Amino acid sequence: MNKTWKLIRIMLKMQYSRVGKKNSETALLVIALLFLLPMAFVYISVVRNALTAFYNVLEPLGQESLIIGILLLTSHIILLFVSFITILSAFYFAEDIDSFIPFPLQPYQLILAKSAGPMIYLYGTAALFYLPVLFIYGGVSSASILFYIAGMMIFLLLPIIPFTIAGILLMFIMRFVNIAKNKDRSKVIAGISSFALIILLNVFIRLNTDVDVIMQDAAIFIREQDGLLRWITAFYPPAYFGTMTLTAITIWNGILSFFASIALHAGAIILFIWAGQLLYIKGVLGMGTANKSNFSDARLSKKTKVSPVWLSYIKKELRIIFRTPTFLTQCVVSSLFAPIFLIIILFMDSSSGNIGGLLDGVTGKHGLLILFLGSLLIVGTNATSISGISREGKSWHANLFLPLNPKQVLLSKIATAWIINLFTILLAVILFVFIIKLEWTLFLIWLPLALLASWFSSALGMYLDLLQPKLNWTDEQEVFKSRMIGLIGIIIQLGIFGIIVLLLWNLNIINGIYMTAAILYVLIIIGIGVMHSLMHHKIKQKQHQLI
Amino acid sequence: MIEIKEVSKHYSGQRKVINRLNLTIPDGKIVGFLGPNGAGKSTTIKMMTGVLPIDEGVITLDGNDIEKKPLEAKRIIGYVPDRPDLFLRLKGLEYLNFIADIYDVPKEVRQERIERITKQFSIYNSLDDYIQSYSHGMRQKIIVTGVLLHDPSIWILDEPLTGLDPKSAYILKEMMREHANKGKTVFFSSHGLEVVEQLCDEVAIINNGELLFYGTLEDMKETYKSDQSLEQVFLELTSNE
Ligand SMILES: Nc1ncnc2c1ncn2[C@@H]1O[C@H](COP(=O)(O)OP(=O)(O)O)[C@@H](O)[C@H]1O
Ligand SMILES: [Mg+2]
Repeated sequence: MNKTWKLIRIMLKMQYSRVGKKNSETALLVIALLFLLPMAFVYISVVRNALTAFYNVLEPLGQESLIIGILLLTSHIILLFVSFITILSAFYFAEDIDSFIPFPLQPYQLILAKSAGPMIYLYGTAALFYLPVLFIYGGVSSASILFYIAGMMIFLLLPIIPFTIAGILLMFIMRFVNIAKNKDRSKVIAGISSFALIILLNVFIRLNTDVDVIMQDAAIFIREQDGLLRWITAFYPPAYFGTMTLTAITIWNGILSFFASIALHAGAIILFIWAGQLLYIKGVLGMGTANKSNFSDARLSKKTKVSPVWLSYIKKELRIIFRTPTFLTQCVVSSLFAPIFLIIILFMDSSSGNIGGLLDGVTGKHGLLILFLGSLLIVGTNATSISGISREGKSWHANLFLPLNPKQVLLSKIATAWIINLFTILLAVILFVFIIKLEWTLFLIWLPLALLASWFSSALGMYLDLLQPKLNWTDEQEVFKSRMIGLIGIIIQLGIFGIIVLLLWNLNIINGIYMTAAILYVLIIIGIGVMHSLMHHKIKQKQHQLI
Repeated sequence: MIEIKEVSKHYSGQRKVINRLNLTIPDGKIVGFLGPNGAGKSTTIKMMTGVLPIDEGVITLDGNDIEKKPLEAKRIIGYVPDRPDLFLRLKGLEYLNFIADIYDVPKEVRQERIERITKQFSIYNSLDDYIQSYSHGMRQKIIVTGVLLHDPSIWILDEPLTGLDPKSAYILKEMMREHANKGKTVFFSSHGLEVVEQLCDEVAIINNGELLFYGTLEDMKETYKSDQSLEQVFLELTSNE
């Protein structure tokens, strides 16, 4: 156990050490959080209102435990998704495993140590979703102190089950995906299939929700105390026991549930350790490396191609993104994830015929404003631009000693991010043309606007990365992990254009889709101009040499 | 020709690591830049190649100021950095094509040079592999190949012989000699002395950011007691404080 502790400490230190972090980064983070404060207020008051309303309906029926049940279930589902992603990167994508394998350590010690990072992440996520609701529920139901104590205990247990489920599943998959015998390829396969799994799960749940049947079932269960709870958590004991603990903590039932909960979690941990001991190292080791090839003069002649510098540079960028598993998942796959998810859900809803409400909103001036802000949000979350310089890592100095104009380097990098955004925009086109069936005028106005917004967003991301890139990484993960830059980029974009959209929305002088479009075009072009001149200014200050 | 005039440099919040350095490297010579670890060799070279900004002073390469005309200056030089880990996710040939595109090397020329140099270095068969799968020495060789594609008039190498096997080291030394014989400048740093006697026409010795000596080996032996070995002179020069 002692060794495991030491391992945990080393691994966390490597991930969260403040070496190379500047105070200005902390300052940016504080500003970003200040921006988020109003959103937190909105979030809490919305939750509070909804919860009070639910409670007042359910309490007379003796069904208020349903609220806690749903809370625990959704928390577990969210944590399960987060677990998949964090475990995959911590257990398999991080390069540091290779350096730990030669040490005389048991596999279970390695996976326990590796779990620390994701666990911190999960507790953060749980705190965000679970704690506010817990306290509001406690307030609304005027609960005793015991409720809060039990609530905190459940909080401590909360991430364990989702984490162990995801962990065991992934270790099992990785053990056998590795037949591919190619480290990079199996990383990509595993990354994409876990996204696919999430989407499939969603489709599956949606296919199985038949509203009529649900209403009948609900009608039966509502007649008994806590019946609804038992009904929705029947297939998932952790949520059931958790809820019973919370809602009946003052009686024996609750205390028994609490012990059942503890036993369940302990069991899960043991199972996880056992699976890790059995599967983990073999899964990692299975990832072999490249093969040897032979080369011929004919091949040399065929592969030697002359291209203009900008094209050659963009090709180099795209090659590196598509060949590096971490970059591929972060820059390409995860930015496609949201739109694909949306398309599938909307497609299924449209086939069941209740998409009408969505269509109505998307017309005229207001429709354009919504589409504009939505596009900005989707292209803004792409990590390609904000990692543009950081991705180079220790190769960055090659951009300096090679005869490359720094401006050209940055423009090529912005273009790369813009090209990757094209995938997302293409998905949006599919969505608008085939599923939502947007009006043609609106569509034709939106498309160039989205392409311009994508350039603006890429330029902004690149500028932010230029200010404070992370070049000193040993593992590609560090380019994305514990950096606030992505969040800051989105907040700036949505802050500026959110206010503008709000103004346009409410200003009655501006009416009609063409006038709104003209204003948006002018503004986004000004935005692009501003970003380019800021970048020009930074290059004059030799920022590219100072980083 | 490289001219370094009154150049100083400090890293953020530290003492000067280069202090008013003056050095002129002529054409057609191989000049060794010697000094113990941490003497300031890499820092000087990074300023010469435009990687680091210069605090004070001027560096010109064939008359082009690296700060005022960076693109012109960089087109003239070929630089082999001390750590050869560049663009590991590219294949060898992709890397060479990328470099050749940047320096505008025509197709026939690059094809001929890639073939000749990589065959000399015995990395020809690895051209289709990712640089990531190369050993340290192979990575160094692919970078040297890239540098020679545009036949630079000034060739700068930072600790080039560390990590090369004897045969590759020999080939590299031959290439440096050939380059200098064409009337071009070859400037390389080294913390060891082994190569000096067999390779250098002139040496510059630096310690704690200050130039201690510049001249031919004979000059050095004349200046210091001629009965001492090179090693003793070097140790004596760099052991002050
Ligand atoms: N990035 C850096 N930040 C701070 N100090 C540095 C940095 N790089 C080098 N130094 C310091 O500058 C001095 C000279 O280093 P360097 O030029 O790398 O020496 P050499 O190449 O001769 O071994 C050393 O004292 C070193 O510690
Ligand atoms: Mg050095």
